Amino acid sequence: MEALLGPGSVLSDPEELLVYESDGLVLFRALADFVVFPTTAEQVSALVKLASREGIPFVARGAGTGLSGGCLPAEGGLVISLMRMNRVLEVDYENQIAIVEPGLVNLHLSWAVGPQGFYYAPDPSSQQACTIGGNIATNSGGPHTLKYGVTANHVLGLEVVLPDGELLWLGGKTRDAQGYDLVGVFVGSEGTFGIATKIAVRILKKPQAVRTILAVFDQIDQASESVSAIIARGLIPAAMEMIDAITIQAVNDAFSCGYPPDAAAALLIELDGLAAGIDEQVGRVVQACRDCGAREVRMARDEAERQLLWKGRKSAFGAMGRLTPAYMVMDGVIPRTKLPYVLRRVNEIVAAHGLRVANVFHAGDGNLHPLVLYDPRVPGEEGRVVTAGAEILKVCAEVGGSISGEHGIGLEKVDYMPFIFSEADLACMHRVKEAFNPTGLCNPGKIFPTRKACVEVGPAYRPHPIEEKGLAQRF
Amino acid sequence: MQPALVDKLRGIVGGAHVLTGVECSPHALDGRAPEAVAFPGSKEEVSALLALAAEEAIPVTPWGGGTKMAIGAPPSRLGLVLGLKRLTRVVEHEPADLTATVECGITLAALQSELGKRGQWMSLDPAHPERATLGGILASNASGPRRHLYGTARDVLIGITVVAADGAIVRGGGKVVKNVAGYDLPKLYVGSFGTLGVLVEATLKLRPRPEADRLAIARFDRIKEAGQAVRALMASDLIPSALELVDGETLRALELGEGCAVVIGVDGIREQVDWQCAEIGRLLGPLGLKDSVVLDGEARDAAWRGLGELGRAGVDDTAAVMKWGVLPTVLPEVMEAGSAAAQRSGLVARITAHAGVGVARAVLAGGSADTNAVVATLTDWRAMINGAAGHALLEWAPLAVKERVAVWDTPGPALRIMKGIKERLDPRGILNPGRFVGSI
Repeated sequence: MEALLGPGSVLSDPEELLVYESDGLVLFRALADFVVFPTTAEQVSALVKLASREGIPFVARGAGTGLSGGCLPAEGGLVISLMRMNRVLEVDYENQIAIVEPGLVNLHLSWAVGPQGFYYAPDPSSQQACTIGGNIATNSGGPHTLKYGVTANHVLGLEVVLPDGELLWLGGKTRDAQGYDLVGVFVGSEGTFGIATKIAVRILKKPQAVRTILAVFDQIDQASESVSAIIARGLIPAAMEMIDAITIQAVNDAFSCGYPPDAAAALLIELDGLAAGIDEQVGRVVQACRDCGAREVRMARDEAERQLLWKGRKSAFGAMGRLTPAYMVMDGVIPRTKLPYVLRRVNEIVAAHGLRVANVFHAGDGNLHPLVLYDPRVPGEEGRVVTAGAEILKVCAEVGGSISGEHGIGLEKVDYMPFIFSEADLACMHRVKEAFNPTGLCNPGKIFPTRKACVEVGPAYRPHPIEEKGLAQRF
Repeated sequence: MQPALVDKLRGIVGGAHVLTGVECSPHALDGRAPEAVAFPGSKEEVSALLALAAEEAIPVTPWGGGTKMAIGAPPSRLGLVLGLKRLTRVVEHEPADLTATVECGITLAALQSELGKRGQWMSLDPAHPERATLGGILASNASGPRRHLYGTARDVLIGITVVAADGAIVRGGGKVVKNVAGYDLPKLYVGSFGTLGVLVEATLKLRPRPEADRLAIARFDRIKEAGQAVRALMASDLIPSALELVDGETLRALELGEGCAVVIGVDGIREQVDWQCAEIGRLLGPLGLKDSVVLDGEARDAAWRGLGELGRAGVDDTAAVMKWGVLPTVLPEVMEAGSAAAQRSGLVARITAHAGVGVARAVLAGGSADTNAVVATLTDWRAMINGAAGHALLEWAPLAVKERVAVWDTPGPALRIMKGIKERLDPRGILNPGRFVGSI
């Protein structure tokens, strides 16, 4: 591999490999035999051919911000890090298309095209760190997907290395490519169909006007009802995010975001588009929230206040460190009309397990993110978190929803797939997988339950080798 | 078809819902009539029919409203046509969720009328809404002018129920607007032309009906100027829902005057629509605008209908219809060159394009079009489009032309994955065989 990639591109020291044993879901860990850092598509292809010839499993990894264990080497083998392939290769403003490498950080694309008045719409909350390649794997969403759609709605073409090492394009810059929509199924395939090495995406013109509204409620049900009331008035805001009391406490403590500390819930609502008519739309949103009992509805006065409100929302997961040593984030989706019922059930389930839950989520499209708070040092707590999580996802499934809106199935939810899919459904998906990945060496152990995953599940804390050697101390 | 087999079909769907012999002729493709036509009344009946077809190794061709059935290589054997026009129920429509689950045989017009009762619509607007069925629209990835803002079938379809080649009922996606559990099977079935399964039920993302909806026709002398107008609109703050480039022959055929045109759809709340209509005039004035007109109500609908239905397969003087996919910025050039190529062969081209996304429809016409001239022009067109890194699909032509001009482009290396999927989902090859890309 060093011959293929050059020096400094292959990690095999166990202490260095530890860095790559988890993603954002620290409950699961698996060690790779090697972590490798290609810089070109041809190198990725050569690595995959080598792995395939040697029968070594391999998995692509971006920034490691995933939340379902999707990029873990469940059966060992190679982790192919794409972080050195992070360039914007081409921007065609007239045709509103950009071609990027998979290791490009999501937000960096918007930065690159921003000066010309453009941006890349999918905006996962981790967009300051997560990569576009990782977004392809999980079909990432984000707050603004309510109006603008998820990653799949923005990807036109992919250059991919197939699991046998062949390098080819699926789709391209033009629309309606002939044949099956392989781009459409590749996006969201969680790295099991191959590795994207170039990505053609749509870039959008920045909207002329943006209005950000904060609506404050004394009861969480009122906030849930406001979401449906706004939709019922024929409006599709760019984003509608809900933040509950515990989350408000955390983000206010961490960032002084100015969310009202005594509220039961707040809705962060954003409208964008033409300047003409936007204030009329704001008026309708304000009225809908008031009709549902909002205590206070106000608009961000300027860009600075808008950014602060969004910082509170987008950094909410990180702010939880103020309240809890650890949390597990769920990712269920429900029809938005079922919000009041499901939120009540979530609170009941978590309380029944003697735990606390914070809710911060994409209310507009019914994508819940209950954060179940726990302390991994308390024996048995982790097990109760996992049980509560499964019960929450079961409720989502029962009301006609899904077990994942944007984080993916990964390792975490393989056993929950039967909540929403029949054996025939799963068999059909598996056949499609075999067409891309007949040997199963490409990211094994994900989405479907399999044979020999050697993943460790349990308390996240254990001494790092450098701690054992007395070279470092944890505090 | 053997009488015993026909009896089995009748046993599944009822005697009144099976056609045989000469009754099958309206379902002929490229001059070949099917051996039988069956109209199932439920997905369970579709399942039973497919199980029977699999057992007897009879090819099955799903059929909705028939508006896109000409797309595909001539079938070597047309076995059982599965007419889906009885599957028309709206299973569930929850306005507050902006979603609906619908059986796939419903026509687009019936679906929109049903959704309209609750102030919503499904944002696909292909031609022939009274005939086109939801399943047909999804299977052929049909779209219309509003794809400019609202996207295509892949963007509105969130869940699908399919009867697989062995009769199994399979679901993909779900009922919620955001969902990444498992592979995105709905995307696989969009544009699969009945080769992977029979679409029986779909869950769709809906939109509120806009309170104002208008269409502006801006006329220019030359397509080049109209192309510049399109670029100016794309670079502006405007958010049109449709942006069409219409050439001179099309404008003339629609009796909309001389020159060529940019047709712009704007919808939303009234204030936005008013502002956009005014802004269009202001932006395009200095770019050679001859005149412009804004249409609303019946006149607007008639103009959209006229544009969509122009050059209907096999009527009027249509000799062939091709669909092109290119980069938006090369459209004016290929439209001009395409017309010139037709003229050289003594034919007329009427070309319209979804200008923002680079998808064009080129109708080749001419009173008594000679097959050689049609073949020569289509061959020129394909070479020109492929040369511009685009793709060309022969959507309709008489059999004599189809025998000489391939329906699909020569597929790229991804064909092996497509074939792999087809072989695994339809191992006996009974689903609309031989008509799709690369003889799938």
